[in-house]
Amino acid sequence: MAHAIARAPGKACGRLGLLATLVAMAATTNGQAQTPRISQAQSLAAWDRIASVLQHPRCLNCHQLNAPLQGDRRRPHVPQVSRGSDDHGVSAMRCSSCHNEAGNNQTSGTPGAPHWALAPASMLWQGLTVGELCRMLKDPQRNGNRSAAALVEHMEVDKLVRWGWNPGKGREAVPIPHRDFVELMKTWVGGGMACPS
Amino acid sequence: MITLTINGRTEQLDVSPETPLLWALRDRLNLTGTKYGCGRAMCGACTVHVDGEAARSCSIMVGEVVGKRITTIEAVSGRVADAVKLAWQRLDVVQCGYCQSGQIMSAITLLSANKRPTDADIDASMEGNICRCGTYVRIRHAIHEAAKALA
Repeated sequence: MAHAIARAPGKACGRLGLLATLVAMAATTNGQAQTPRISQAQSLAAWDRIASVLQHPRCLNCHQLNAPLQGDRRRPHVPQVSRGSDDHGVSAMRCSSCHNEAGNNQTSGTPGAPHWALAPASMLWQGLTVGELCRMLKDPQRNGNRSAAALVEHMEVDKLVRWGWNPGKGREAVPIPHRDFVELMKTWVGGGMACPS
Repeated sequence: MITLTINGRTEQLDVSPETPLLWALRDRLNLTGTKYGCGRAMCGACTVHVDGEAARSCSIMVGEVVGKRITTIEAVSGRVADAVKLAWQRLDVVQCGYCQSGQIMSAITLLSANKRPTDADIDASMEGNICRCGTYVRIRHAIHEAAKALA
């Protein structure tokens, strides 16, 4: 606040200057300038759409207990693979035995992205209701110790997350555009990360 | 130009980074011991080693393995490889042989990490290698035999 007062007299004078200063002070004080606050109802509505992304095969197929699912039909992964002791498969059947960090292989049809693997077992999403999923996602103990801001950033920039929107031929991309999904995350967070019961 | 380290040699290949490794091995370097079975990472006939770990060369792109150690059936060596090859010979595992390069490469990876695999370990690790002639019983027996020799 102090800097706004100190700046204004040098730049503008008279009533207009005072008005500009007051507006600047108000913007600095509440941090959101003139945007309206997000309601809990808006947050809940955003969550509903976020849940549809998280439960889409591109996400849910790897948020499983011991073995990933495969394809839009969510069938068991063929050939059969399992988590292994380090979340990256067992000997001779590692995720990286077939999946490229560099990206999808158009020739073989295998999808790929950086750090391709099952999600940690703590992030098991299969079988959760949208309410349970919501509470899990905002719990730092179960979301990789992420704050709300870190959660949004993860959805925005993580390359494996973003793979869901560029999964290669024969796989449906997440139907909500990625930038809309990020906006939904911000709305959900902004309205207090509301969860249905 | 892609530079790969294959069987201890440096190879310069004029291929795009998305080229499956299998194509580079067979078509460019004449290393035909590694086979094309399905081209979709479903059969394991194309199995090679990348830094000692089994990899399906029909699915792994050459760009992915720059700077890594690639080993094919022609050059795989060492105590574990010797034990596996000997067991395969003693038990006459091979019928038509088409899948066997891949089977052997996967078995070597398994035994390198696990000197006494159980049947369940073998099931899990050899799951990606299929055999149309049905030599599975002999493969399993040979892995156990190689494990005994390595003990």
